Amino acid sequence: MALIECRQLTRTYRRGNEEITPLRDLDLDIESGGFVALMGPSGSGKTTLLNLLAGIDRPTAGTLSVAGKPVHNLPRRALANWRSAHVGYIFQLYNLIPVLTAYENVELPLLLQSLSRSERHDRVATALEAVGIEDRHEHYPRQLSGGQEQRVAIARAIVTEPTILLADEPTGDLDRQSATSVMELLAQLNSEQGRTIVMVTHDPRTTEWADTVLHLEKGRLVEQAVGSERP
Amino acid sequence: MRLLPFEYAVRNLGRSPLRLMLSVGGSVLVVLLVLIAAGFTQGMQQAMRVSGSPDTVMLIGSGSEESIERSEIAMRSAGIVAASVPGLLRRAGIDAVSPEIHLAMPLVTEAGTPGRLAVIRGVAPEAWLVHDDTRLVRGRAPQPGRSELVAGRLAARALGFEPPESILGMTFSLDGEPYEVVGLMEADGGVIEGEFWTALTDLLVTAQRDSLSTVILRMDQAELGDLEAFAATRLDLELAAIAEPEYYAQLSAFYRPVRLLVIVTAILIAIGGITGGLNTMYAAFASRVREIGSLQTLGYSRAAILWSLVQESVLASAIGSLIACAISLVLLDQFVIRFSMGVFGISINATVLSLGLAAGLLLGVIGAVVPAWRCLRRPIPEALRAGE
Ligand SMILES: Nc1ncnc2c1ncn2[C@@H]1O[C@H](COP(=O)(O)OP(=O)(O)OP(=O)(O)O)[C@@H](O)[C@H]1O
Ligand SMILES: [Mg+2]
Repeated sequence: MALIECRQLTRTYRRGNEEITPLRDLDLDIESGGFVALMGPSGSGKTTLLNLLAGIDRPTAGTLSVAGKPVHNLPRRALANWRSAHVGYIFQLYNLIPVLTAYENVELPLLLQSLSRSERHDRVATALEAVGIEDRHEHYPRQLSGGQEQRVAIARAIVTEPTILLADEPTGDLDRQSATSVMELLAQLNSEQGRTIVMVTHDPRTTEWADTVLHLEKGRLVEQAVGSERP
Repeated sequence: MRLLPFEYAVRNLGRSPLRLMLSVGGSVLVVLLVLIAAGFTQGMQQAMRVSGSPDTVMLIGSGSEESIERSEIAMRSAGIVAASVPGLLRRAGIDAVSPEIHLAMPLVTEAGTPGRLAVIRGVAPEAWLVHDDTRLVRGRAPQPGRSELVAGRLAARALGFEPPESILGMTFSLDGEPYEVVGLMEADGGVIEGEFWTALTDLLVTAQRDSLSTVILRMDQAELGDLEAFAATRLDLELAAIAEPEYYAQLSAFYRPVRLLVIVTAILIAIGGITGGLNTMYAAFASRVREIGSLQTLGYSRAAILWSLVQESVLASAIGSLIACAISLVLLDQFVIRFSMGVFGISINATVLSLGLAAGLLLGVIGAVVPAWRCLRRPIPEALRAGE
C-alpha cells in the first residue's frame, strides 16, 4: 500500500454562481520515501492538490488516505491534530512568525505536543543543525537572508518528524545559489532521513533532485515521468 | 487545547507602535469616560446617602416636600414642637430642635466678580447638636450679629479655594452685606460639606425673611409617627414631617434622570470609541492573515489563535485602563461638581474603579473577538494566499 493514496480526488470551488474545479477525479499513489516534483502551468491545481494532501483543505469528492488513515472526512479539529502530527509544510514565502526568533519559530509546532522543555530544546537544536543554521537561534526572521529564512522554515517543518513533507515552490523566491542549497537540503532530508517529499515547482531545474515528476494540467495528471536517479 | 506562547501576544503589541498608541489611547479615553460617569453618579448618590440619619426628622412646609428651598414655615414652629412632642433628644439642657433657613444665594467676592450661587444655611446653635456628623475642623461657629460664615470643605473647593483652609478670613458679599468666613466644617461627605452656614438671625435680616425653611430634630424615645401626628393636629402650622433618609432618597430619585443622561451619554461615546478600536484591530489582524493561516497549518486551532489575539488586545486595553485609573485618582477624585442641589465631589472609589477596569476589559475582548473572527473565518488556503 502506498503512503499517500488519492482516489477520484476532486475539489470544486464555488464563486457566486460560477463553479471552478481545479482538481478533477485525481488518482495518485505516492510511495513512502519518494521525492515527487509536481509541475504544471499556473492555475492547473498544484497548490490545490498540495493543500488537500496537507489537510488544510477538504476534497469535494473522492478519498485521500495517508499511511492507511483516511483523512478526507476528518472533522476540523481532528484534521488540525492530524496535521500537527503528520504534515510538514514549506511555503514559498517561508511564513515565519516575524516576532519570534528562529529558535522559537522552530519550537512552535512542538508546543502542540506533549514534550518537556528539554526534549523540545534537543529537537529544535537538532532540526536547526540539520538545516545548517545552528548559529542563529536568537535571530529574528528579518535578520536572516531569504535562503536562511527558508532553512528555518524547513527546520520548522521537519522538527515534528512528520510523515510527509510538502513544499509549495520552496525556491520560488530565492536566488539561484540559495535555491540550489535549499534543494540539496531537501534531497538530503529525503535520502538520509527517508522523508517523503511532495514539492510543487515551476523551475524545471529543481526537478533533477526529485525521483518522480508529475505534470498537472487543468486538474488532471497528464503524464508520469520517472526522472533520473537521485544525484 | 494547546495555546500559543504568551510572548507571542506580548511581542505582537510592539509590532506597530502607532497602533499600540491608538489602542492604549483609545482605551484611556473610553475608560476615563466610564470613570467620570460612574464617579459622578456615585458621588451624587453618596452625598445624599450619607446625609440622611435615621433618627432625624425634618418638618417642612406641607406641599413643598421636593424642595426645601421653597419651603416656608412659621418661626414659632420650632418652639411649639419642642414643647409639644416629648421624647426628643435633649443634651445639656438643649433640645435637639434646629430651626433653619436654606437659601441659594449668589456669593460675591470682594473683588466684585460675578457671584456664584451657593447654598446658605442659617442655623441656631442647636444645629450642631442635630447634625452631629458635622464638625468644625478649623475656626469657630458663626456668632449672631457678626455676619460670619462657616464654609463646608467642598463648598470652599467649589469656589476655587485649594486647600479649602485658604477660604478662612475671606469676605464675601451676600445681598450687599459683607460676611467673613470664620470656620471650616466637614460632614463625612454629606451635602452639608457643600454649604455655607451662618447665624439664623443674621440671614433672616440679610434675606429679609420672617419665616423658616425647616425645623430639623433628633428623636430620642419619640418616633416618626409622633411627629406626623403633631403635624396633622397642628394644622395652623401647615407642616409635614419627613424622615431625613426619606427626604434624601426622594431628592436622589428626583435627580435620577440626570444620572441616566450622564450614563447614556458615556455609553454612546464609548460605543463610538469601541467602533474606532474595532477598525484599528481589524486593520492589525487583517495584515496578519497569512501568518494566521500558517499557524493553522501548523495545527493551532482557531480558538487558540483567537485567545492569543484577545490576550494581545486585552493587554493594550489593560495598559490604557490602568493609565485612566491613575489619571482619575489624581485629577478626578473629589473633583467638585456644582449642582442645583448644592455641591458634591466626583467619587473615584473601589466600585467605580472596578467598573472602569471591567469596561476596559470588555473593550479589549470585544475589540479583539469581532475583528479576529473576521480573519479566522477564512479557509486556510485562502488565508495563505493573502498578500501575495
Ligand atoms: N479558494 C478558492 N476559491 C476559488 N477559486 C480558487 C480557490 N483556490 C484556488 N482557486 C482556483 O483554482 C485554480 C487552481 O488554483 P491553484 O492555486 O491550485 O493553482 P496552481 O497550480 O497552484 O497555480 P500557480 O502555479 O499559479 O500557483 C485557479 O483557477 C484558482 O483561481
Ligand atoms: Mg500555486
